[in-house]
Parts: sequence; C-alpha cells; structure tokens
Amino acid sequence: MSHDFLLWKLLRTNISPVQLIGFGLANLVGLTIVILAIQFYRDVQPVFSDDESFIRKDYLVVTRSVTGAGAMMGGSSEFADSAIADIEAQPWCRKVGRFASSEFAIYATVGLGESGRAMHSQFFFETIPTDFIDVADADWTFDPSRPELPVIVARDYLSLYNFGFAATQGLPRISEGQVGMIPLQFTFSGNGLTETMPGRIVGFSSRLNTVIVPEEFMRWANERYGSGNQRQPMRLIVEVNSPGDVKIDQYMADHHYEVAGDKAQSSKASYFLTVITSIVIVVGVVISLLAFFVLMLSIFLLLQKNTQRLRDLLLLGYSPAQVSRPYVLLVLAVGAAVLVLAVGGLVLARRAYLPMIEAFQLPQASLWAAIGVGTAIMALITAGNIIAIRRKVAALWLQ
Amino acid sequence: MHTIELINALPAVFAGREPVPSQVWQCPLKLQRGKRYLIVAESGTGKSSMCSYIYGYRRDYSGTIAFDGTDIATLGVPQWCQVRQTAIAYLPQEMRLFGELTALENVQLKNRLTAHKTDDEILDLFARLGIADKVLTPVARLSIGQQQRVAIIRTLCQRTDFFLLDEPVSHLDQANNSIVAGLFAAEAHRQGAAIVVTSVGNHLNLDYDEQLKM
Repeated sequence: MSHDFLLWKLLRTNISPVQLIGFGLANLVGLTIVILAIQFYRDVQPVFSDDESFIRKDYLVVTRSVTGAGAMMGGSSEFADSAIADIEAQPWCRKVGRFASSEFAIYATVGLGESGRAMHSQFFFETIPTDFIDVADADWTFDPSRPELPVIVARDYLSLYNFGFAATQGLPRISEGQVGMIPLQFTFSGNGLTETMPGRIVGFSSRLNTVIVPEEFMRWANERYGSGNQRQPMRLIVEVNSPGDVKIDQYMADHHYEVAGDKAQSSKASYFLTVITSIVIVVGVVISLLAFFVLMLSIFLLLQKNTQRLRDLLLLGYSPAQVSRPYVLLVLAVGAAVLVLAVGGLVLARRAYLPMIEAFQLPQASLWAAIGVGTAIMALITAGNIIAIRRKVAALWLQ
Repeated sequence: MHTIELINALPAVFAGREPVPSQVWQCPLKLQRGKRYLIVAESGTGKSSMCSYIYGYRRDYSGTIAFDGTDIATLGVPQWCQVRQTAIAYLPQEMRLFGELTALENVQLKNRLTAHKTDDEILDLFARLGIADKVLTPVARLSIGQQQRVAIIRTLCQRTDFFLLDEPVSHLDQANNSIVAGLFAAEAHRQGAAIVVTSVGNHLNLDYDEQLKM
C-alpha cells in the first residue's frame, strides 16, 4: 500500500463521474470532429487539386465553338493569327501557346508482354510549347539519334482502358504508377517512309484531352513524314493571371470560344472544400475548448470540495506536486481515453466513407496528420488542466 | 535545525492593543534543540497562532521568526516541505486527521512519506496507547480521546529536531498522559530533539527545562 494509493483513496472523494463523463463525451465529440475533418480533407482533396506537376497551373485550353451550321458550311474552327494576337493583347493573358498537330499517319501498339496480346490503334499527336510543361528536362525531350518518345496522355484514356477494355477482355488493370512499364510502340508513315520507335508514357492529364509529345519531336517528325503545309492551330493553351476572372468568361463568350477543362470549376470546388473543412474544424475546436472549460470547472469544484483534505496533506509535509498528482493522473487518463476513442471513431468513420470515394482512384492519405493534430489538441487541453490544478493547489499553501 | 527564534513577534490581530506581559510575544525567545519547553497560555492568547507561524502555514504576524538565524519568511515551498518532514513534528490542537481513513492509514499517510518507523513499531505504539483494536477503524468512528492518540502516533512517525505539540493531552486521562509523555521523551532523547508543549491547563507530564507564560 503506497502513499499514492492512500492519497488516491483520500482525494477521490467528491469526484463526480457524471461531470467526468460529460467532459469526456464533449471532448470526444469535439476532437473527433476536428480529426475527422482533417482526415476527410486529406482524403478528398486530391480529387480537386489535380496535381499535374508536369503542367503549369493557371492556364486554359481554348477552342472555337463548333456549331452545327458552321460545320456544315465548312466554317473553320482554326484560330487566325489576328485572333491569337487579340487574345495575347488581353490584360489577363500572360502567354498563348499553340497546339500543333501531327501531319502524318501514326499507328500505336500497346503490347502486354510475351503473351502476345496487344492492342493496335491509329493514333494522333499534338504538341504545346515546352514552356507550358514542367516535366524534368531529361524526360521531356526528343533526340533523333536515340529515339524514345515520351508522351503525356489524357487520364480518360487510362480509365477507358481499365474500365472499358481491360474489364471486358480479361486484361490486367493498370495503375498510373505501372504505366511507365508498359511496352509502347509507335509506327510512323509518310513521305514513303515507315518507321517504328518505342514510346513511354510519362504522365497523365485530366485537362488536356489529347496526346502530347515534345515540340522537338513534332518539328523533326513533321519534316520527315509530313506534307510540309503548316496549318493554323485549332486549340490554344492560354496562361492567365487568375483562372476565375469573370472578364475571361466574358471575353470567351463574346468571341464564341470554349474553354476546355474544368480548372475554374475545380478550383472553386476546392476552395469551398477548404472553406467547409475550416468551418468544421473551427466548430470542433470550439467544442473541444468548451469541453476543456467543463473539465477545468469540474476540477476546480473538486479541489474546492477537497480543500481541507489538501491543506491537511500539505501540513503533513506533502508537496503541492505530490498532492496534485492524483488529479493530474486523472486528467491524463481521461485525456488518453478520449484520444484513443476519437482515433477509433476516426478509423470507423473513414471505413464508412472510403468506399464512396474509391472510384476516384485517389492515393491513400495517411492517418498521421489527423492523429498528430488530435494528439496535439489533447496535449494542450491536458497541459492546460494540469497547470490549472498545480496553481489551484499551490494557492492552498497558506491557510 | 538547532534553534527557533522569535524576535519581537506579534500576531497581527494583537497589534495596537495594550501590551500584555508575555514571555513569547514582543520579546526575544530562543528555543533550542534538545530542551523541553512548556508554554502556558490562557485561551485566546495566540498559542495556536504561534504554532501555525512556526510551522509556516500562516504569516499574519509582525516581527521575525528564524530557524538557525534564517528568517522563515524567506523559505520556499520545497524548504518548508523539508522542514515538515525532517525538522519539526507538529501535533495540531485540532489534530487534522482524515475521518474516512482508518487509524492505521492516517498514521501510514505520514510514515510512507518519512519512512521513519516499521509497521511493527507503529502497531506497538497503538498497543501501548491502548487502541490496538482500533487500528482498522475509520477515524471518524473513534472517540475524541482515541483520535488524539492516533494523532500522537502520527506525530511520532518522523525524524525531527523539534516536537511542537499544541495541547497534546487535552482529551486524555492522567494514565494516558503519562504514557504519551514517556513516548515523546523517549523519541526526543533518541533523536536529540526538543519538545515544545503548549497547554491551557492539562500539562503533558514531563520535566521541563523552561516554563514560559504566553
């Protein structure tokens, strides 16, 4: 029987289980809200962020509207030089790049190993100026003496393969990470030449709904296989100051241009996700703070009721720290229990919502950020209460 | 600790009153280790106040109180804890036992802190004071005289230089008075400690070196 046990036997008098449970529940709710919001944000955020590191941010892909009448009358969907110059002159425009197309026949073969199963397709390439692409230099170049062609393809193509083709043909599904290992071959023909070259997919884009190759290659290949007539671009890539600017929408509508890609929508959605998450986190923190005060008041009441016992213990020679210990341990135990339960709640809630977002094929965010924040909040609350207890007991020294 | 000195000490509530002749207040008083003092007081003359000043839980006095020449107003909490565990063994008049703990637990609450006596020695003290059968009884259910004996045993459970006993036998008969006196005398002799006893009438039966009027 240590004196800790005797102290506990003496000082547990007047502890109110109802108040402790009340604090525990309130704090549990607050803490769970905070860490769940953080985790949900981390899990879902990639849907909106489209972190395509190889394409610069703040750009728009612009095409001319193809109306039924225009197409029938043979109206051009190409951009004239004057139209491009006009866009370049707009205050919100930083830079305009032209999409250039391949002017020769391309045949692609995607082979899946030695099994001999392969997919063949006619193909096309486009290119945009290298300034708009952020792949490390070594990856995004083409050298005719060592031909291997890097390409960026639309993410939709992978989905098409995975969900459409692979699923029905009994072929394996491929993740984005595995794509670089797929043997890819391109056959080019034109000007009486037919040549084959290996290729490699270096990235996916959900905004560029096309196949992009380096400019160097396009120049070299068009010269080698192409007819030599330069065509005007049908699509432009425009770097803008702020993609949400209403003046851009206005300009595009006035000139019957269409903006491809969902950059503006996505950035709005992402913004609202951030706002909503922040509101939820603030609510959770407020609940946690209220819980903190509930516990503090409860402990003050307890210390008040046990004042005489605490003073008598101090007279026996116990130090304020020793006398505080049972209450400090109580606060630590309750705090640890709340933290464990909140993390448990987080794991359960996450299990419930993860299947809903699985279809987006997002990378799994780790739990550590949420757990870290939860632990930090709990540590702060516990430290605050421990300091309050120490001060309150120290104030009992003189009688 | 060798000396406790009161130099012109006076409880704050006595300030401004007509000075009453006293051998404690407003005069130099030096208590020395190893000696026995009886402070005889009438009720309301500040006997318990003096004890609380010396034991460091009240400071409403003027003048100076010093341990070995050090003003006790300069002592911090850790030093006071040290004093209470090893230098002054205090028996408050109101005893300050914990009613919900048993007699033995009350004593152990002190002895676990000081590790001064063995369990057998404690049980022997209970036996010598005639309350061996009350060891496991909650203190709240003991008579006031039994409670006083539990408090006395608790006071004996520490290393000390001064026993400071505020009316230690106010609720005891003569037979128990003598037993208690014998216990304190033996413990003080063993440790070379002083015994300072206050009394309003029922003195602890000891031979005193000095008798002071408060």
